[in-house]
Amino acid sequence: MNFRPDLSPSEIAHLTRRDFLASTGMGTLALASLLAEKGYAAPPTDPLAVRAAHVPPRAKNCILIYFEGAPSHIDLFDPKPKLNEMNGQKLPDDMLQKVRFAFIKKEGVRLMGSPRKFTPHGQCGMELSDLLPHIGSIADDLCLVRSMTTTQFNHHPGQLMMNCGSPLFGRPTLGSWLTYGLGNESRDLPAYVVLHAGRGSSAGASAWSSGFLPSTYAGVLFRNQGDPVLNLGNPPGFTPEMQHLGLDAIGDLNRLRHKHVADPEIASRIGAYELAGRMQAATPELMDLSKESQATLDMYGVGRNSRDNPGGRGGGPETYSTFARNCVLARRMVERGVRFVTLLHASWDHHSNINQELPFCAGMADQPIAALVRDLKQRGMLDDTMVIWASEFGRTPLGENRGGSANVTGRDHHPFGFSMWLAGGGIKGGQVIGETDEIGWGVVRDPVSVHDLHATVLNQFGFEHEKLTYRFQGLDFKLTGFEGAKVVGKMLA
Amino acid sequence: MATHATLLALLTGVAVSLTAAEPKKAPLDLSKLPPAASGPVDFAKDIQPLFAAKCYSCHGAEKQKGGLRLDIKIAALEGGDNGKVFVPGKSAESKLVHAIAGIGEIGIMPPKEKPLTSAEIGKVRAWIDAGAIWPDDGKLAVKKSDHWAYQPVKRPATPSTSPLITNHSPPHSIDAFVHSRLAREKLQPSAEASRPTLIRRLSLDLLGLPPKPEEVRAFVSDTSPNAYEKLVDRLLASPHFGERWARHWLDLARYADSDGYEKDRARPFAYTYRDWVIEAINSDLPFDQFSLQQLAGDLLPNATQAQKVATGFHRQTLTNTEGGTDQEEFRCKAVVDRVSTTATVWLGVTMGCAECHSHKYDPFTQREFYSLFAFFNNANEKAIPAPNAEEKVAYAQAKQAHAAEATKHKAALDAYATTEAPTKLAAWLQTASLAAVPWRSLTPDKLAAKHGTTLKADKEAVITASGALPAKETYTVEAKLPLPRLTGFRLEAIDDPDPKKAVGRAKDGNFVLTKFAVKLFVPGQFDGKELEIARVTADHSQNKFPVEAALKGEDSVGWAVAPQQQKSHVAVFELKSPLDVPEGARLVFTLDQQYKETYLLGQFRLAATDASGPLKPDFTPDTVAAALAAKPEQRTAKQSEALAKYFREQVDEPGRKLHAALDDHAKKAPAAPATTAAVLAEEPGVRKTFTHVRGNFLDKGTEVRAATPAVLHPLKPRAAQPDRLDLAQWLFAPENPLTARVSVNHVWKNLFGRGLVATVDDFGKQGEKPTHPELLDWLASEFPRLGWSRKALIKLIVTSATYKQSSVNRPELQERDPNNLLLARQSRLRLEAETVRDAYLAASGLLNPKIGGPSIRPPLPADIAALGYANSVKWTESKGDEKNRRGLYIFFQRTVPYPMLMTFDAPDSNTTCARRERSNTPLQALTLLNDPVFFECAQQLGARMAEVPTADAAERIRHGFERALARPPSAEELSRLLKLYEAQLKLAQANADGAAKIAGAAKPAPETGEKATLVALGRVMLNLDEFFTRD
Repeated sequence: MNFRPDLSPSEIAHLTRRDFLASTGMGTLALASLLAEKGYAAPPTDPLAVRAAHVPPRAKNCILIYFEGAPSHIDLFDPKPKLNEMNGQKLPDDMLQKVRFAFIKKEGVRLMGSPRKFTPHGQCGMELSDLLPHIGSIADDLCLVRSMTTTQFNHHPGQLMMNCGSPLFGRPTLGSWLTYGLGNESRDLPAYVVLHAGRGSSAGASAWSSGFLPSTYAGVLFRNQGDPVLNLGNPPGFTPEMQHLGLDAIGDLNRLRHKHVADPEIASRIGAYELAGRMQAATPELMDLSKESQATLDMYGVGRNSRDNPGGRGGGPETYSTFARNCVLARRMVERGVRFVTLLHASWDHHSNINQELPFCAGMADQPIAALVRDLKQRGMLDDTMVIWASEFGRTPLGENRGGSANVTGRDHHPFGFSMWLAGGGIKGGQVIGETDEIGWGVVRDPVSVHDLHATVLNQFGFEHEKLTYRFQGLDFKLTGFEGAKVVGKMLA
Repeated sequence: MATHATLLALLTGVAVSLTAAEPKKAPLDLSKLPPAASGPVDFAKDIQPLFAAKCYSCHGAEKQKGGLRLDIKIAALEGGDNGKVFVPGKSAESKLVHAIAGIGEIGIMPPKEKPLTSAEIGKVRAWIDAGAIWPDDGKLAVKKSDHWAYQPVKRPATPSTSPLITNHSPPHSIDAFVHSRLAREKLQPSAEASRPTLIRRLSLDLLGLPPKPEEVRAFVSDTSPNAYEKLVDRLLASPHFGERWARHWLDLARYADSDGYEKDRARPFAYTYRDWVIEAINSDLPFDQFSLQQLAGDLLPNATQAQKVATGFHRQTLTNTEGGTDQEEFRCKAVVDRVSTTATVWLGVTMGCAECHSHKYDPFTQREFYSLFAFFNNANEKAIPAPNAEEKVAYAQAKQAHAAEATKHKAALDAYATTEAPTKLAAWLQTASLAAVPWRSLTPDKLAAKHGTTLKADKEAVITASGALPAKETYTVEAKLPLPRLTGFRLEAIDDPDPKKAVGRAKDGNFVLTKFAVKLFVPGQFDGKELEIARVTADHSQNKFPVEAALKGEDSVGWAVAPQQQKSHVAVFELKSPLDVPEGARLVFTLDQQYKETYLLGQFRLAATDASGPLKPDFTPDTVAAALAAKPEQRTAKQSEALAKYFREQVDEPGRKLHAALDDHAKKAPAAPATTAAVLAEEPGVRKTFTHVRGNFLDKGTEVRAATPAVLHPLKPRAAQPDRLDLAQWLFAPENPLTARVSVNHVWKNLFGRGLVATVDDFGKQGEKPTHPELLDWLASEFPRLGWSRKALIKLIVTSATYKQSSVNRPELQERDPNNLLLARQSRLRLEAETVRDAYLAASGLLNPKIGGPSIRPPLPADIAALGYANSVKWTESKGDEKNRRGLYIFFQRTVPYPMLMTFDAPDSNTTCARRERSNTPLQALTLLNDPVFFECAQQLGARMAEVPTADAAERIRHGFERALARPPSAEELSRLLKLYEAQLKLAQANADGAAKIAGAAKPAPETGEKATLVALGRVMLNLDEFFTRD
């Protein structure tokens, strides 16, 4: 044991987290054997210590922009002039028989063209919808995948599939896996943070759960009201000075106890309380955008008003500035070493009223996301920060004729072919991967499964996806499941 | 414009993509198959040696990859996970032949060795083509395994080496095993822990609550030789014991209070199962019965309500009600989970992977997985009424009281009917005329419905809608007007006499009349005249659906009657002014019903009147009208009675009141308790069971029957068709090597923080070996001897010196045995999530110790609860001291789990959890420091300290410390706390407003500085590692 009761809490505060944990002899043996028991031969240190991947990684941090509800690929990313020509026509019966819809009634369903105008952007000439003018301006940094497929066509299983690689509850998310694999670079912030705008989603906390991984690897939800992190603030009346006195005493008394019972867990407890104190100090600084230049804030659109709010699923008018602010915060977090940031927004589930509600949602997303990618790039952070736009599936080229609605104004769930994009982190920008058929229904070239996508992301973070595993209930689980997955070579720079 | 043919051509990609999810099957190139050999082939001489050389290593006695075994006839003919591998006479179609020729989708077999030659393949083909003659080897496919866990439990002799430390004579058997192992390692066990530590340890382990200071003192000063045993007995008898050990079991049961997917709907009565578990454990229901009832309580003869409620164990699976979900898919997922969970909980084997393929490491094939699946495949999900005893008694009492009261009302009415009423009736009949009952039913002579509904009228002029049920509809009714003068109309919405139907045709029995209009057609005039209605009233209108809305003609609103769809209703429409009508005039009524879907009238009748207003929306039955019209002397007895009744109920004021009182009382009849329980109910033979190829429920493989894995002991079913009860009894057969071992290991883990087999959920080849195999077997043989009594087993373990050892670490142990595998000391364990909460509430005196009942929702910031799908999660805070109940009662909303529980590693309750993590994170620190629940505990502890009648701060500190930690502070600790006291007091006195807030005082006062300081000290004490650790 090399426990050092001689260190005062303030001296400890000057040590790095890693040094501190080492200096308090944080049960190195116990942890090493714990980790070995889990089938992951991590270096003997604390569960969030920075760890080496299988090979040197291209990407260090990830910002996952997850739009729950399934944005329409046909109206945003995948122009289909033929579909417009065929607007109002039927799909052949034998094709209809083979598919299942969430809400569409097969009887009388018709193809529905898109009113959006697509134009080429950037040097690469990527065609994008008129709803995404700002994102068009970063086209040369984007790797647009138009050939995604998923096995799930309901939201919650689909969201679990995209976030966790399985439609079932209880599995870790991509963010949890990366945190588990790489640890935390930040001394005083969580490794995995979730920011949220608009209303709740069907996945709830399962979109950032660590599943069977220890809860250390779960996403920490930052809030838009009250304390940014639940219970971050002291109880009413407690000044920082009082808090400091209390934390000092807790540390000293725990040290006395440690001297008596010699349990390495106590040393680790002391570390956790120290880190909690540092989080209390560091988080307000993180959340404070007053040091950002006005130009930066304007670029992201912080404080801007929403357009007319169609009063739909996408949230109230405040959603625009909340989402813009979340994008700035994501950059600030990555700057401070946070490994994985998820930006959530619900909902893009446009079963009806798509021509009013999709522009609202796209209007919320377009400017801040483009600003985020541009900002990361100009600060030299895009090389090792991966930005991902994803959702659980796409939307049907068919108009949705749900019973009870007189007019067809939306699209149903569509898992057979949809779009998403990645940027940065060693992903080759300015390219389009894959292709759907002429109506945007099925994939005709380079299909990419969710597991392929995950394998590719893990690859950029230095992991062979087959080898990043965790033993649970007798099985070696991995993010990419048991059915096989391949790294999509074309995506890599 | 594209024709269908061109459209199809254009969409060729579609068909591909629809099947893209399925694995691509490369077409078999049969031309590559070597030809069958000519000449006779002998199995023993030509084929068996080939199989032995090339196949047995993976498809023989030791391993059965892909579920295939080729060394025994009966198994080889059955085939593998994906069905038969050869059919006699058809070698070109044989998967076995394709595999050895390397042309099938599985690639070449054997995969790593030299492939078979063309000549050899030809021989196999010839053998199959000739009928695959395989002389009967008479062998059944008996599996054997030499893995320790599948060997029978043999009760070992207690080691004779004398235990190193013991207070027992003869020595405690557990100590004999543990100490003999320590002796071999030349290690000494630790001394017994101090009395305060022992009582705190026992209270936390057995009750999940810390001891009260007075209990600690009593135990510390109890000098009787059996003081410890008395304490154990007292704790085992406490009703809180059931709560503590129920929580362990609920982890295994993946218990939660909501559905899981998407809307994550609440399961408000999930607690009926939870309460069953608490009760069963408190009454020490033997573990075999405890298990049997949960797996198959519904199949027991004359199953009681409780035995059925027990099957709620397997009703904790997740449910998805999202639009378009294939319910069969999720039903199959639930059954798969039931199989895996049963295997994990009682057998300690991991079956999950066998859903898709045979187990890679343990001797379980995919077919065997689905043979277990068959036991659960016909267990349907049902809800049964499940009032608890209190609810039953309360309901019976309420019913009795209600009936007694009803009798009183009836008596009063009868008395009135026989005494005062007859005279009044006679007086009324004198003056009564048609004017008193002014409605004349309109017999329709034309009926029409715009969207296909069939309308028919009977001779009572009641119109019934039937046939097609369109979303929206307009009824048109045409009738002659039988009156010369017109003042208004009446619409009766009639409750269908069929109790399953109601007034409306919508699913909920409601209707919405969006527009009521009448046109009058006078002979000789070409156009009808729309009549202007001035006033409309109804006997009842639904909230926000007033009858007035029926005049507006808006689709979004109209006259509706929920929640009284099971009663007839009446609306009267009064004309602006009386209308004189020439003879032969006709009325055309339009009843528009445009609200959402199918909110259409089911039965109705129209009437008209010439009475002057205001018109009342009451019913005047035509029978009464007829009786009144008849001359008094010609009235039948029936008519007289009808008039008397009508008079009493509708006309006479006192009579109406008495009737109304009786009716009102009837409405107040007590409702039967709504409490239900989710249970399994067997419907034998409904579904056949097939293997699911690669776990895909749509891709059915071979049919299987209910059976248990061959590597384990044989099943002894009660009848030809084995059922869940047989399976449950099989688990507790004396020859079962696993259940007893696995079960004692669970209990051991809960008392030492680690199982004798560390992988409590995996006793298979991938799991860890037992640290003390003989002790495990001794306990496994002892548990049935103790009559499977959980309490007796726990008492046995906690009275051992091994359990009572100090948990203080020793340098030589830290080096040689950091994980404490050898048990030379006890382990220090951070409390589980619920126990952390319980310890806070108990130490501060806030705990509400109520046991059982509906789950509670402690305060939660609104934005956290709102994260569920589209505000579908309603987190209604529990009021009063309900919010201060134990952690196991917190409503577990799967998509919005209570953050504190998750921060402290409570299981997510999606799959069975046999072993919780014990993490140590800054979020835990923030929770304990700042969460309002825990801060309130600190305030209470501060208040307790402030109450101590002393002026001495040290005295107050000692009091609080002992309350929190069950021991007095050491001198060092006391001096550190005094130092803190002085520093905090200075700050608190300098900040009077802050101090008042901390102390929970309304405004600053002279004593708030010290009170706040004591709260701050309480907060420190409750945040010490020791407080939320079991030493």
